[in-house]
Amino acid sequence: MSATADPLAPGAVAMRIANVGMRFGGLWALSEVSFDVERGSVVGLIGPNGSGKTTLMNVISGVYKPSTGEVTYAGKRIADVPTHEVCHLGIARTFQVVKPFASLTVRENVAVGAMYGRNGAKRSTRASFERAQELLEFVGLARVAERPASDLTIPDRKRLEVAKALALDPDVLLLDEVMAGLNAAEVDEALDLLRAVNGRGVTLIVVEHLMKAIVSISTTIVVLAEGKKIAQGAPSEVLASPQVIEAYLGSRWLKRQEQLKQIESQRAEAERVQPPEATQQPLDPPQHPPEATP
Amino acid sequence: MNHSPSAVQSSTGTVLRRIGLGGITGSPVAFAIALGIMALLLAVPATHNDYFQIVFRNILMYAAMAYGWNVIGGYTGYVSFGQVAFFGLGGYCSAVLSANGVDNLFADVALACVVNVAFAIVIGIPVLRLKGHYFAIATLGIALAITDIVANLDALGGSSGLAVHHVDEAHFYIYYYAMWLVALGSMLGTYAIARSKLGYAFVAIRENEDAAAVLGIGQTRYKVIAWAISGMMAGAAGAVFAPANGFLDPSIAFSVDSNVFPIVMAILGGVGSVAGPFIGSLILTGTNELLQRYFISIHTLFFGAMIVLVVLLLPRGLVWLFGLKGGARAWLKALTAYKA
Repeated sequence: MSATADPLAPGAVAMRIANVGMRFGGLWALSEVSFDVERGSVVGLIGPNGSGKTTLMNVISGVYKPSTGEVTYAGKRIADVPTHEVCHLGIARTFQVVKPFASLTVRENVAVGAMYGRNGAKRSTRASFERAQELLEFVGLARVAERPASDLTIPDRKRLEVAKALALDPDVLLLDEVMAGLNAAEVDEALDLLRAVNGRGVTLIVVEHLMKAIVSISTTIVVLAEGKKIAQGAPSEVLASPQVIEAYLGSRWLKRQEQLKQIESQRAEAERVQPPEATQQPLDPPQHPPEATP
Repeated sequence: MNHSPSAVQSSTGTVLRRIGLGGITGSPVAFAIALGIMALLLAVPATHNDYFQIVFRNILMYAAMAYGWNVIGGYTGYVSFGQVAFFGLGGYCSAVLSANGVDNLFADVALACVVNVAFAIVIGIPVLRLKGHYFAIATLGIALAITDIVANLDALGGSSGLAVHHVDEAHFYIYYYAMWLVALGSMLGTYAIARSKLGYAFVAIRENEDAAAVLGIGQTRYKVIAWAISGMMAGAAGAVFAPANGFLDPSIAFSVDSNVFPIVMAILGGVGSVAGPFIGSLILTGTNELLQRYFISIHTLFFGAMIVLVVLLLPRGLVWLFGLKGGARAWLKALTAYKA
C-alpha cells in the first residue's frame, strides 16, 4: 500500500481479494477469485447455492486460510492474523447460522463485543455496557435488552448478530445472509438498518439470496458460480449478463432464450424484407414460438 | 465510527444506573446469604470442639475446590475431572517446604499458587485444545498420572508419604482460619471475575467458542487463564489442608473424593454462580457427615440417591431457585422446558 494514498478515504481500495482459492479435499470450493472492495461501498456477493459465498466470507474473516492467493486488508494478509485478532484490524462478521450467547442477556451479548473488539481494551465494563445499549437502540433491540438471547425471535436474532458485529467498531462489516427467513416488511427494516450502518462510513460485504434486496442496497455486485467469479459490476449490468442468467436459471433456459431471440429477429427481418401485403396471404402460416414467460 | 450524540449517551447512562450492570454472578440474594453464613463460620473455633472445627474446615476446603472447578467447568464450560491434581500439588508444596524447615502458611499458599499456575500453563496449552468429553477424559488422565508419578518419587516420600509441620493442639484453630480465608478469597475472587470483562470472556467461550473468537476473544489465552485461576483456588486449599492434616501421601492428596465432591457441590449449588459452590459444599459436606454418623456402612447409598434427586429436580442448582419467580408452577414449567 502506498504511503500517499489514505486507506480510510472513501473510494480507496480497502480490501484486496487476490486469486483466492480454497480447497476441501478434492473439491475447489473457490478458485481464482479476485476483486477489490472500495472503502464505503456496499459489495453484494451473490451466486447459487454452493457457489462458495460463505466460504469466501470465512476466508475474508480469517476463519479459513485460503489454499491459494490472499486477502489483504490495510496492507496486512488476513491469513497471517489469528481469528480473534481479525476484528482488531477493523473487520467484523455475522454468522449465517446465528451464534448468540444463549444464557447471556441481549445487552450482555453486545457488550462482550464492545469489551473485546477493536476499542475494547480502552473500554471499562461500564463503558462497554453503555456502548451496547446505544447499539441496541440503533438496531431496534432496546426493548428486549434484558431478555436472555435464547428468547429472541429469528429476525431479532439477526439484528443481534448485526449489533454484536457493530460493537467491534468495524470499518468493514461482513453480513452473511442476515435477511434469510425474514418476511417482506422485515427485509425492508433490515435494509434500512444496513443503509444506516453504511451511512456511518462502514463498508459492507453482503451475502444474500434475496435478489431484490441485494440489488437495492449494493453499489457493486460480485457473482460467484461453482467457486469462480463470473461477473462483477453495477447491479443492473450484472443481472443482465448472460453468464449470470445461465448460472441462476441454467444453460437450457439461456439457450431457449437465445433461440427465441433469434426467431424473433428472423421474423422481424422477414417482415422488413417482404412487403406488408404479402404477409396477408401467407402460403405457410408462420410458426409462432411459444410465449416466453418472464 | 464517529457517532456519539451526547443525548443518547446520557439516556443510556440513566437506563444502566436504574437496572445496574448485572454481571454474571447469579442471584445477589444467594450471594448475600452465602456471605452471611461465611461470616457466621468465623465463630466456629470459639464455640465448637475440634471435631466440628474439622467438619467446618472441610466445608470451607471443599468450597474453595468447588469454586476452582466452577471457574473452569462452570464459567468457561470445560468440565475438568482433574482438579484434584491442583489440590494435591498444593499439598505437596506445603510438605516440601516443611521438609526444608519452612513453617509458614502464607509461604505454603504462595508457593502452591505459583506452582499451580505454572502447571496449568504447561498442561493447559495442549489439553485445553480438546473439547467436551475429550477434555474431561484428558483431565482425568492427568489426575491419575500425577498420582502415580508422585507415588514413585522418593523425594516426595513415594507412596508412604511425608509428615507436614503441624502446630500444637492449642493453636489448631490457625488452620481453620487459614482455610476460611482461602474459601472467602475464592468466593470474592469469583465475584470479581463475574463482574469483570474476564468473566464475560469465560462465558462467551462456554456459550460458543467460534463466536467468541470472532468477537476478539483469544480462546487459548482465556482458557489457560481460567484454568490457572481454578488451579490456584484448589492449590491454596491443598496447601492449608496438608499441614492441618499433619501428613500427606498420594492416596490422601489425590483422593477420588477430593476430585468428585467439588464437582457435585458446584452443580448442586449452581454452576456459574458466585454463591453456588459454597452453598453446595455446606449442604453436601454436612449431609455426608451426618449420614456417616448414623449409617456408617451404607451412607454412600443415601448420598448417591440424594445427588441423583438433585440433578433431576434442580438441574441448574439451588441458586437458580432464587432467581425463579412464580413459585412451584414456575419451577415445574422451567423443569420441563429444561429437559425438552
